[in-house]
Amino acid sequence: MLVKRSSAKTAGNKRSGLVAALADTLESGVSRRGFLRRSGLAAGGIAAVGALPGAMIRKAEAGPILPNVEVVTRKNVCTHCSVGCTVIAEVQNGVWVGQEPGWESPINQGTHCAKGASVRELTKGTRRVKYPLKLVDGVWQRITWDQAIEEIGNKLLEIRQASGPDAVFWLGSAKFSNEGAYLYRKLAAFWGTNNVDHQARICHSTTVAGVANTWGYGAMTNSYNDIQNSKALLIVGGNPAEAHPVSMQHMLRGKEHNRAPFIVIDPRFTRTAAHATEYVRIRPGTDIPIAWGLLWHIFENGWEDKEYIRQRVYGMDEIRAEVKKWTPEEVERVTGVPGAQVRRVAEVIAKNKPSTVIWCMGVTQHTVGTANVRALSILQLALGNIGVAGGGANIYRGHCNVQGATDFGLDVSTLPSYYGLAEGAWKHFSRAWDVEYDYLKGRFASKELMEAKGIPTTRWFDAVLAKPGDIDQPSPLRAMMCFGHGGNTVTRMPDMVKGLEKLSLLVIADPHPTTFAAIKERRNGTYILPACSQFETDGSRTCSNRSMQWGEKVVEPIFESKDDYTIIYLLARKLGFANEMFKHITVEDTRPVPEDILREMNRSCLSIGATGQSPERLKMHMKHQADFDKITMRASSGPCAGDYYGLPWPSWGHPEIRHPGSAVLYDTSKHVMDGGGVFRARFGVERNGVSLLADGSYSKGSEIEDGYPEFTMAVLRKLGWDKDLTPDEMRVIQAIGGGGAEVDNVSWQTDLSMGIIRVALKHGCVPHGNAKARAVAWNLPDPVPIHREPIYSPRPDLVKDFPAIEDRRDFRLVQLARSLQFKVADSDLRQRFPMILTSGRLVEYEGGGEETRSNPWLAELQQSMFAEINTRDAEKLGIRDGAWVWVYGPEDGSKAKVRALVTDRVGGGTVFMPFHFSGFWQGESLRGNYPPDTDPIVLGEPANGVTTYGYDPVTFMQETKVTLCRVEPA
Amino acid sequence: MRPLHALLLIALMAVAGLAAPTFAQAQLTQVPGPNSPTTKEQVPLYVPQDDKVVGRVSIPDEKLAVLVQPEGREWREWRTHTLRLAIGGLAIGMTVVLAIFFLYRGTIRIHGGKAGRLVLRFNGLDRFAHWTTAVSFLTMALTGVILTFGRSLLIPLIGHQAFTPLAEYSKSIHNFVSVPFVVGLLMIVALWLRDNIPEKADWIWIKSAGGLFSKAGHHPEAGRFNAGQKLVFWSIVLGGVVMAATGYLLMVPFAFTGIGGMQTIHVIHGLLAAALIAAVIGHIYIGTIGMEGAFDAMGSGDVDENWAMEHHRRWYQEQLRKGYVEGRQPAE
Amino acid sequence: MARMKFLCDSERCIECNACVTACKNEHEVPWGINRRRLVTLNDGKPGERSISMACMHCNDPPCAAVCPVDCFLQTADGVVLHSKDLCIGCGYCFYACPFGAPQYPRTTDFGSRGKMDKCTFCAGGPEPDGSVEEYQKYGANRLAEGKLPLCAEMCSTRALMAGDGAILADIYQERSVRRGYGSGAPGWSTAYGRNERGSPFAPGGPGTGGA
Repeated sequence: MLVKRSSAKTAGNKRSGLVAALADTLESGVSRRGFLRRSGLAAGGIAAVGALPGAMIRKAEAGPILPNVEVVTRKNVCTHCSVGCTVIAEVQNGVWVGQEPGWESPINQGTHCAKGASVRELTKGTRRVKYPLKLVDGVWQRITWDQAIEEIGNKLLEIRQASGPDAVFWLGSAKFSNEGAYLYRKLAAFWGTNNVDHQARICHSTTVAGVANTWGYGAMTNSYNDIQNSKALLIVGGNPAEAHPVSMQHMLRGKEHNRAPFIVIDPRFTRTAAHATEYVRIRPGTDIPIAWGLLWHIFENGWEDKEYIRQRVYGMDEIRAEVKKWTPEEVERVTGVPGAQVRRVAEVIAKNKPSTVIWCMGVTQHTVGTANVRALSILQLALGNIGVAGGGANIYRGHCNVQGATDFGLDVSTLPSYYGLAEGAWKHFSRAWDVEYDYLKGRFASKELMEAKGIPTTRWFDAVLAKPGDIDQPSPLRAMMCFGHGGNTVTRMPDMVKGLEKLSLLVIADPHPTTFAAIKERRNGTYILPACSQFETDGSRTCSNRSMQWGEKVVEPIFESKDDYTIIYLLARKLGFANEMFKHITVEDTRPVPEDILREMNRSCLSIGATGQSPERLKMHMKHQADFDKITMRASSGPCAGDYYGLPWPSWGHPEIRHPGSAVLYDTSKHVMDGGGVFRARFGVERNGVSLLADGSYSKGSEIEDGYPEFTMAVLRKLGWDKDLTPDEMRVIQAIGGGGAEVDNVSWQTDLSMGIIRVALKHGCVPHGNAKARAVAWNLPDPVPIHREPIYSPRPDLVKDFPAIEDRRDFRLVQLARSLQFKVADSDLRQRFPMILTSGRLVEYEGGGEETRSNPWLAELQQSMFAEINTRDAEKLGIRDGAWVWVYGPEDGSKAKVRALVTDRVGGGTVFMPFHFSGFWQGESLRGNYPPDTDPIVLGEPANGVTTYGYDPVTFMQETKVTLCRVEPA
Repeated sequence: MRPLHALLLIALMAVAGLAAPTFAQAQLTQVPGPNSPTTKEQVPLYVPQDDKVVGRVSIPDEKLAVLVQPEGREWREWRTHTLRLAIGGLAIGMTVVLAIFFLYRGTIRIHGGKAGRLVLRFNGLDRFAHWTTAVSFLTMALTGVILTFGRSLLIPLIGHQAFTPLAEYSKSIHNFVSVPFVVGLLMIVALWLRDNIPEKADWIWIKSAGGLFSKAGHHPEAGRFNAGQKLVFWSIVLGGVVMAATGYLLMVPFAFTGIGGMQTIHVIHGLLAAALIAAVIGHIYIGTIGMEGAFDAMGSGDVDENWAMEHHRRWYQEQLRKGYVEGRQPAE
Repeated sequence: MARMKFLCDSERCIECNACVTACKNEHEVPWGINRRRLVTLNDGKPGERSISMACMHCNDPPCAAVCPVDCFLQTADGVVLHSKDLCIGCGYCFYACPFGAPQYPRTTDFGSRGKMDKCTFCAGGPEPDGSVEEYQKYGANRLAEGKLPLCAEMCSTRALMAGDGAILADIYQERSVRRGYGSGAPGWSTAYGRNERGSPFAPGGPGTGGA
């Protein structure tokens, strides 16, 4: 009777502690046979019952793991959010048949959220794009890959001929691997445009700009795991319980183990707020007032870390002056938060240190996004929480590789690794890519456009519809190459639809057709290329905490799909620059080898320390995940001993010097070779006679026990450390410097030999110099963050006190701000649109949602688009829970028909809509417009169908969190 | 648990649903306080949960929003014990009572013996309606009883393997036969409603218990239907309608009500079934061995003149007047 | 002797639905069958809690007690399984179950129900362990492979736990002491209450009660 149970014992021992503990109990077994005997049943059941009416036993689609067929286990990384959960795939006969928890991963430790636990479905691919498609007079036609590349290439070349390279918009994706992102940026460079962007624009571009301008690098300073060291957590504008569920594991452990106060500041009572010890409801768009309100109490009571500020922060006095204005009364007037609560929160985060601040898109997606980010960064600087384990600015990035795609330059304003677009940057990459600088320059329309920021994804349709004179490039956009990007993710969709209609060429390379394919206004000139998911190729991806993880190909690309590398290669070959572009990258058949791409990145991306993460090291980390500590993420034994998991950048110098990566950025308590660091000297050495270098603060073991500038040959010579360079390194540096006095200007960032970095590290110094963080960032539109009301402000009475920025031009386009804001405030719009509309995420879906809404396991859990309406508002409007309502937006007569979800999650006067839906347009289903068998299971109105104008001046981040709306029963 | 008790409890469920769940309430305080546990033993694991807990689910299946429904325990008690007691007790009880009565009274004979002359009591349509209703009722009673008692009585005899198809067919038959039952029910209402309207004479009939205990064969005067038959009629009609209504609601579970409602419906269906089965046993008795000549009314449709005269004098006279009695001229 | 139980720590549960999709993934559960689900109490208000619920594998399973065809069995580990070969889809187990665990595929538009489906604690059914028939009727049998239910193994915050009841209780109590509050494991008194009614838990026995 105890058959088979005993065989289970050995398997159990390898598993988690809980399972291991249980394993010995399993042998006792289950008495199934006894039951069978008693019930008189033969194994296999009675056939007769099956024939009875109503006797339905479900038939599983995929069989169980087949007996006697080899099961191969492959390790990849979840393709949804930036937490970076390890996915263990069981593969049989090339089919992904089972998913197991990745216990050994220090990040997720076996766990998943709804999306991660369902990724296997992606390779079943029932709703995937199966072959290349072409839209002919509104009908989708199947074509071959050869035909697709030939026609697309010819059209691109024709547009280039007629309108120049800048007429093509290259939209990349945070779903690319690092190698894919880098390659796509390189493709745009070889094509000759900076009109290349990806999702970071609409999620954390303001974070990157804000924190990089404060302390040097645009990334999460600590890690998810490190939150377990926090003594207090402050979450602003973030809902990790839905957006990053696995991170909540670390946050709740921190909350429980340290009895850490868990404070959530958000307009909406989220699933995260449900676990908060204190929930602060603010009016949407008032993040700076609340940050300054907290800082007001901190300064007033002397709770700031004065020594830290003296040593490591520049310009805090100017902040004090601004903060003085934000008295408790003023904060309450603007944000609606009672003074006593603000004081309580301030005291809690100031007295329970280290405290961490976590933020997400509730902070970044605003017309003041960059300023919001900077205000929170300054709050953490005042408390001395940056560069401290358990502290930090824990910025949760969005997509699985949005950090990596940003790092490797899928951006209109920079080349990979944040080198920018200046001549020096292009020269660095022309050396790294082994092509002539003049060749690259010749690819562009002009040197000016080569060094000018491109058109961002939030405004591409404005660039399509722009009249000459309104756009600072020779031609409006005429073609869009859209790789892995939904069409419902940017605001002002009615305008987007007009732009889409006018494009002569639209190419969608994606596993799913995306919203772009379903817009009925387009009838010709659209191609869909079936790109495979990251489970069907290999490559590295960077999680939010900067750890790079190598994903192993689980199955071959399904149907006719191809991976991003191959598609990029095919395009480059057709466009005629494959030989130059792939000079040092092996191409097998038509597939560039990702390991080779990563090696080229390691050689060139010095400035963020993306040089130590060789493919070999990354693969070794994945193989030996179990050796890494679950909190510090450092391996104490095994071949990776000493390394931090995934070599979170910066991992300085050549892989051979074995820099362990940096788990906590700017951490002076550690030696630089142990992952220690200091604030980056990025903005010169002094300003207006005040030194910008650190004052008596330095990382442990540094031979320079004070601030120092970034390392260049000149600095090395001055220190007499140039003698430490090897002859080979000197030769490279000489070659870069061109022999003459220019050699002095060769810096750690451009020295391809990495000799300067090696020497700096040898002396315990950080190559990027040791400076103060900037509380005042003089190069930004608002050097000191100041509150500005949203364009569509729900408080017209405050608009004159807190006006938007002046109208301006940037990113080759016109940006309206104050003029529009005043026009709105002076009109009767507020009366006609009396409610605030804000948007956000659901746990079941991701991004534009086409992929997740096509997954039946996820789609079943959220079957209709909804708008959250406060209980009292619903009562006033006569709206029942679950009833249909129209949500009207204030621009273009926009509207969306959705279901009402009557709840107190939102406060009175606020409406919340999730942004993952599309496939309905103003009450009408677009299901028929999708290519056959690719329409997602669940369709709904896109929230961005009713969102409005408003952009951050630094990055053109869109305003998705505050606009006005009106709700009526449908 | 007594049936009434069960009904009461179930009625209370709706009210209970409003009560806040205890464990969710207790966890409102998220910060350690003076009552914080300091040892593991102080942490309660088994917190009694006596109220229904209802929340929100994202899936479009409202009944799954009920997290815990302790009322299931009451329903279980009803299903495993009370229902069986009710059906079994009433059916067996009625049979025993009738047996005793039979011993005491024997078959009630036609006092004056058979006249040999027949009166048409129920025409073809009448009988079709009766037998449609009767056969479907009995089928449903039997299949219902199989489903209720099969596990205890039949599985030990025939085994699980044989019982499952039996139960499966019983379930299907029980569901499908409800259709002819309802048809029959509607027909008897249409045909006999007029003659079943209660009247003053019924009171006399009831007071003398229909002469059942009168060995002298003294029967109170009655029309086409006496009060006893009217009682059966109304029981079957009203009971049948409620049975059909609850039965169909049980066939479309949760279409109109939640878990508490479904349980209540099941209890009503079961209790009524028990009562009707008992009533029908009585009806069958009196229509067969209990009374000489009664079965003919639904058998051939013709009854003996003397029988009609004794039991339904008023109706007999009416038939006589209309000339419907075989061999007799209509009275002037 | 292990007594397999589920424990959902509502202080940890964030309604991420990982347990739900893990279940769907592991057993290829069709659309409309919710072996596991998330219920949020006090939605949108302070004190809001979410709880993952499925068959709790009760000590004295009411489903087994009311089943007219006696199709349930309880394994030596306390896992409540049922035979789809015996089930007639009557729906009684749903009325009796305190947790709404039994699910029925809809076979016709008239609402008639197919055979009951519910959480198996990833322990399959009465068929031979790991057989194709077992998988097709009940899904994977992880327990036979020495693994625990995937929902608990994949829970994002370790809120949902599965395994020996004594160990779960210990973990939960230790957590509660550490965080300074805790007030009962949801559903435990109903599923495993010490003052259980009916016949006592009988290892390996067929359905308890009733018969």
